[in-house]
Amino acid sequence: MTQTQTKTHAYKADIFCQDESRVDWHSKALWTLREKRDRAAKQLPEWEQLRTLGSQIKLHTLSNLGQYLETFEANCLANGIQVHWAKDATEHNQIAYDILSRHKVKKLVKSKSMLTEECHMNPYLEQRGIEVIDTDLGERIIQLAKQPPSHIVVPAIHMKKEEVGELFHEKINTQAGASDPTYLTRAARAHLREQFLSADAAMTGVNMAVADQGAVIVCTNEGNADMGANLPGVQIHSMGIDKLVPDMDSAAVILRTLARNATGQPITTYSSIYKAPKSGGEMHVIIVDNGRSDMLQDNILAESLKCIRCGGCLNTCPVYRRSGGFSYNYTIPGPIGIAVGASDDDSNSIPWACTLCGSCSYVCPTKVPLDKIIARHRRLKAEQGQLPYGKRHYMPLVGKLMANETALNCSMSIARTSLKILPHSLLKPFAGAWGKYRELPAGADSSFEAWFKRNREQK
Amino acid sequence: MKIALFIPCLVNQMMPEVGIATLELLEKLGHQVILPKGQTCCGQPMTNSGCFNEARATTLKLLNSFKGVECDAIVCPAASCLVAAKENFHEFDDSDEAQAVIRKLYELTEFLHDVAPIASFNKAINSKVSLQMSCHGIRMLSLATPSESMDTPFNKVEAVLSGIEGLNIVYPQKRDECCGFGGTFALDEGAISGKMGKDKAHAHADTGAEFIVGFDPSCLLHIDGTVRRQQLPIATRHIAQIINMAL
Repeated sequence: MTQTQTKTHAYKADIFCQDESRVDWHSKALWTLREKRDRAAKQLPEWEQLRTLGSQIKLHTLSNLGQYLETFEANCLANGIQVHWAKDATEHNQIAYDILSRHKVKKLVKSKSMLTEECHMNPYLEQRGIEVIDTDLGERIIQLAKQPPSHIVVPAIHMKKEEVGELFHEKINTQAGASDPTYLTRAARAHLREQFLSADAAMTGVNMAVADQGAVIVCTNEGNADMGANLPGVQIHSMGIDKLVPDMDSAAVILRTLARNATGQPITTYSSIYKAPKSGGEMHVIIVDNGRSDMLQDNILAESLKCIRCGGCLNTCPVYRRSGGFSYNYTIPGPIGIAVGASDDDSNSIPWACTLCGSCSYVCPTKVPLDKIIARHRRLKAEQGQLPYGKRHYMPLVGKLMANETALNCSMSIARTSLKILPHSLLKPFAGAWGKYRELPAGADSSFEAWFKRNREQK
Repeated sequence: MKIALFIPCLVNQMMPEVGIATLELLEKLGHQVILPKGQTCCGQPMTNSGCFNEARATTLKLLNSFKGVECDAIVCPAASCLVAAKENFHEFDDSDEAQAVIRKLYELTEFLHDVAPIASFNKAINSKVSLQMSCHGIRMLSLATPSESMDTPFNKVEAVLSGIEGLNIVYPQKRDECCGFGGTFALDEGAISGKMGKDKAHAHADTGAEFIVGFDPSCLLHIDGTVRRQQLPIATRHIAQIINMAL
């Protein structure tokens, strides 16, 4: 087993939990989104049918991915779009840089894309002299704060408005002490407008790539993707191979659930379809694998590629809400972050940052079986001898004890007696995290089995 | 009916009162109840940790204790253990004999709702109870519609208890949010588990109920420890204890 370089989820979560009022505030902000989602879903009598359809569409596309990718590429080319293929993050960043440097781009405006975060593209381009401006308000906030996103849909959800006010005062000259969201948003808008007008190229993520149209669909609430894509001459769209859908009918099903499940909106404010370069301009699509086809090899892990990145699983996850997005050691946090990022986590702890409660799987608009995927990651880690929290040492002992009736009965009899006769203050230090946060159970007089023997078998 | 009890290790060793209530209520309903020997644990602590090799011997020991036992149903007063047993039996032994055992497995509430409903209760319980809708029971065993689902609502737990005169059933805020136990999660992720338990205990206490009633002893053990740590004026009871009191 390699030496762990990264802190475990539990370690980071413990630090986050030390400010309980902040945990409560964070949890409440996200639960509000879950409640909005519930109300929006309830308004559609066909909600569960849409989930089933969404799941089937994605499964069908993933099962015939090669064919759909080829169709998509052919249709893009016919529409005048330039298509690039990247097997990993490095290739993606190189391709993006090649396009930008060919056009002598100094400033790139980017609309939210978790894929470019996954590829760590911003620092790559910045090191090569290209200024990258994130244009989604939340993304811009964390970019100015030099932080990664803590949520895939509301990336700055961990920051309070006062903290944003302070940051804006320092970075974009707003009034000191100002924290009024309307004032701050207007200031950000003016600041971003300057960036759009002075940019040489634009990049966006892709919510869906429609195979039979050779088109990409980009959803935003702020119109920033459109501001970017429509102003400078060069537009680039980066997408994972999992973003494919066959046609507009399938896209329509997913568009109906995406925003409802994310924020409770009927649809994102802007759902734009790009299917050709603007007159005199260039449109590029970069199609990225970066480990996705490996995931397709495992029947259970493959289903994580059905994800449409609505963030619904983060909002409902009781662990994410209380531990924050930065505890997951991956760009994408929460249940879906575990599903797609567990193999990259060298602390090997994130698959265990979950109680397997299953809420995420039921909230998911494409029925990604997140709890099953997370359990699968645990098993894969165990098989690779990469267990956290000492499990590698104590689990074989637990297994042996549980399989041995005499040993189990003896040890539990001692435990019951200790709990009955010894002061719990004495026992608590030996009860680890249990005793730190909870009272110990009272020791029962005897086991049920012994009671049954006395009261039924001997009568 | 002839019923074999599946008593999980936690109930056997730490919460025998749950086993006793289950046995007594099934007898009061006219069933013949036996306790097959050799049960220890369903293997869930190991399989939930990903350690399938370490779970094999324990799981097969439990399965073997039911193989060839003559009975109409195997009933367990713990949803999470029941789900794990079903899955683990299947994982480690796919024989017809194992399938025969798996087909007879029922969680207590499920059994009382789907298989042998209670015709009538004899005693009123004048009390307000806050139901603990534990994750595995509702999401993996379909004891009730999870709050995330927009399917036609049903709730077997409430349906079983609703026949008891005087019983006032309420729910905590975020009614089916996980209590944070999660087996070894409670130890490995102490801070988060502790905070989830605390929030859950307060949500139950805020209903003003006298008892937190649930169908999963492990969640109840966790919530009980938290309720007492928080010194909240509420106590935990297993659904078997409530039903047994009303019969």
